[in-house]
Amino acid sequence: MANIPVIAIVDDDEAVRTSLASLVRSIGYEASTYESGIDFLNRQSEDPSCMIVDVQMPVMTGDELQARLVEAGRRFPIIFMTAFPTDAVRQRVLAAGAHCCLSKPTGGDEIIRCLEEAMAGHAAQ
Amino acid sequence: MSRFGLRFFSALLAFAVFLVDVLTPLEGAVAVLYVVAILLAAKTTHREDILVAATCCAILTIAAYVLSHGLSSISSPALRAAVSLAAIAITTMLALQNQAATMRLAAQARLLDLSHDMIFVRDRRGIISFWNRCAEETYGWSADEAIGRVADELLQTAYSEPRNAIEKILIESGRWEGAVKQRTRDGVLLDIEARWALQYDHLGKPLDVLETLTDVTDREQAHAALVQSERRYRRMFDASRIGIVEEDWTGVRAALRDVNVEADIDGYLRSNPDFVRKARSLARIKDVNPALQKMLGATNRSALLASVNDLMSESERTFLGALVAFAHGEPFYEGETELVALDGRRIPVLFTITFPTEPEGDGNVLAFVVDITERKRSQNALLAAQAELAHASRVATIGELTASIAHEVNQPLAAIVTSGEAGLRWLRRDVPQLDEVASVIGRIVSEGRRASEIVTRIRAFLKKKPAEQDMLGIAEIVSEAATLVERELSKEDVSLNIEVRPDLPQIRGDRIQLQQVLVNLLINAAQAMAHRSWPRIVTLRAELAESGDLLVSVQDTGPGIEAADVPRLFEPFFTTKQDGMGMGLAICQTTVEGHGGRLTVESVPGAGATFRLTMPVAQRQTKP
Repeated sequence: MANIPVIAIVDDDEAVRTSLASLVRSIGYEASTYESGIDFLNRQSEDPSCMIVDVQMPVMTGDELQARLVEAGRRFPIIFMTAFPTDAVRQRVLAAGAHCCLSKPTGGDEIIRCLEEAMAGHAAQ
Repeated sequence: MSRFGLRFFSALLAFAVFLVDVLTPLEGAVAVLYVVAILLAAKTTHREDILVAATCCAILTIAAYVLSHGLSSISSPALRAAVSLAAIAITTMLALQNQAATMRLAAQARLLDLSHDMIFVRDRRGIISFWNRCAEETYGWSADEAIGRVADELLQTAYSEPRNAIEKILIESGRWEGAVKQRTRDGVLLDIEARWALQYDHLGKPLDVLETLTDVTDREQAHAALVQSERRYRRMFDASRIGIVEEDWTGVRAALRDVNVEADIDGYLRSNPDFVRKARSLARIKDVNPALQKMLGATNRSALLASVNDLMSESERTFLGALVAFAHGEPFYEGETELVALDGRRIPVLFTITFPTEPEGDGNVLAFVVDITERKRSQNALLAAQAELAHASRVATIGELTASIAHEVNQPLAAIVTSGEAGLRWLRRDVPQLDEVASVIGRIVSEGRRASEIVTRIRAFLKKKPAEQDMLGIAEIVSEAATLVERELSKEDVSLNIEVRPDLPQIRGDRIQLQQVLVNLLINAAQAMAHRSWPRIVTLRAELAESGDLLVSVQDTGPGIEAADVPRLFEPFFTTKQDGMGMGLAICQTTVEGHGGRLTVESVPGAGATFRLTMPVAQRQTKP
């Protein structure tokens, strides 16, 4: 069981979180969901294989969480999703090492492609 | 010697002569000595005394003769008595004549006493021989004290020119006039106007000097105060940073008198611009201070000394008000206007013009003028900043609204799409996981509902009633909106005509929201006309519609709106602008409907568009 990749999903919107988890599980990965960046930092000491995170969240935004992880030396691929994409946000998160930045709503195929690319790239390193 | 003493000695002497005449055997005209008694009596200068003495002496002479010689013989003693009587008579006559002359002189001297000037007579050495009553009163020295003293020493006279030069003039012309300073007995310094006249003796030799002196101390002080006041005024005039114009309105007064319409001077002036124009050229400029010269770009005052007409533009409006105030005799008039500088620049100014109320004051009308160019400039900058801010906040509001719409709506959409994809994948597995599929379909349904609720909430938010329900005057809102767009319109070279009917009823609502609707319509109008060659005019009208509602219309001379676009114009996100968001008119309509009004548009393609805003008027409190 240890070789099933775990995908961490961080989103303050419960519906988005659950549907993403369902999608991830439907293709055979394991999903663990968190309602905020703080929630993730508190509960997940082990690095997931990949993380899907929302940009706009209260208290701690997605890119703030990313900065905290980089600071702590935790390196795993991160996929950003946002309901209000702007070039500024996209450039910022990609520059900080995000694997990709998707706009909501995004088709499932796109999400899965990103996810697999991210994990393949990370495994190759 | 007193009058009584003189009478006494006169009587005593007469009696002594009588005794000698009767008791001594002297053969001679002893009675002649009676003349001495008469002369003594004459010293009193009283006519009665002379007559009494003369009568008594004559009686005593006759009595002595009768006692000594009886009445029987007429001989040499009788002749001597007659001679004595003749001497008495002649002496009496001469004494009486002398008395009359003395009385005449005394009367003349009294006349000198009546004078309001100080008069004294002195000889060439300065020794005083006559001193009138006014001199006594003014200098504080009595005649007895002054007579015999040297005038210049007594009065400590100070001359403004050398004493010997004065003396020379006096000898040559017989007169001298000039100003001197003298001191009274109490040490008070007096300003004196002196007039000297030289008196000659019968040989033409200079004798005495008659000095007539007028105390002009008060006059000099009043004059000095006046000079000082004049200097102070002059200093204010020259040093003030406020422009001052001294004008003569005598001609204006005369022209007003000529038209003779005192009953309705206001009406006359308002309906006769020709007269007002004429009055402008009749108001002459007498003087201008350096501050005003600088303000108008003149290097010297003479360039400005014409009529006020030269300082005003053709369309100047406040002169009429000043003229009405002048005609009504009001003391001043204030206002704001523009002056025309020598180089043609228009200078915005605040002014006060003062009309002296005393008669003959028309020649001394003063106008005080303050240059408010800087103030105007900063006021314009402030208005521009306000307009920019209003525009920016308008854009920001719309931007924020779209951001939050995007975020709110995209969240459920994202959940729906992702759930759908997940469902498909659960179905396509070798062993479809139907419970997972049921779960995602349930989520799709609930998220679909959530999205629709969000849309409903946004609509409700946009349609909500205005927060403020104030009583508002449309004229005020119109003028504020016009101020806010002033710069934007001038940037596009668009002129704005405002026609607001007076006495429009009030409306109820939110001042800022309605002002923003007008700002929006005005900016749309200006943008519609940008880069067009035809006249760019926006007309903003406020009037009462036939229905009794308030009608505000914004009409432009732009290209108009395509007929096909008209029905969709107020739809959200509909725009004909390159970079428009399509929210402006939608929000305007929502705002107007929130106020119980309507916003409509009418357009003839190629001939501009007219937006009409109809608002119900506020219900007045009516008594049952």
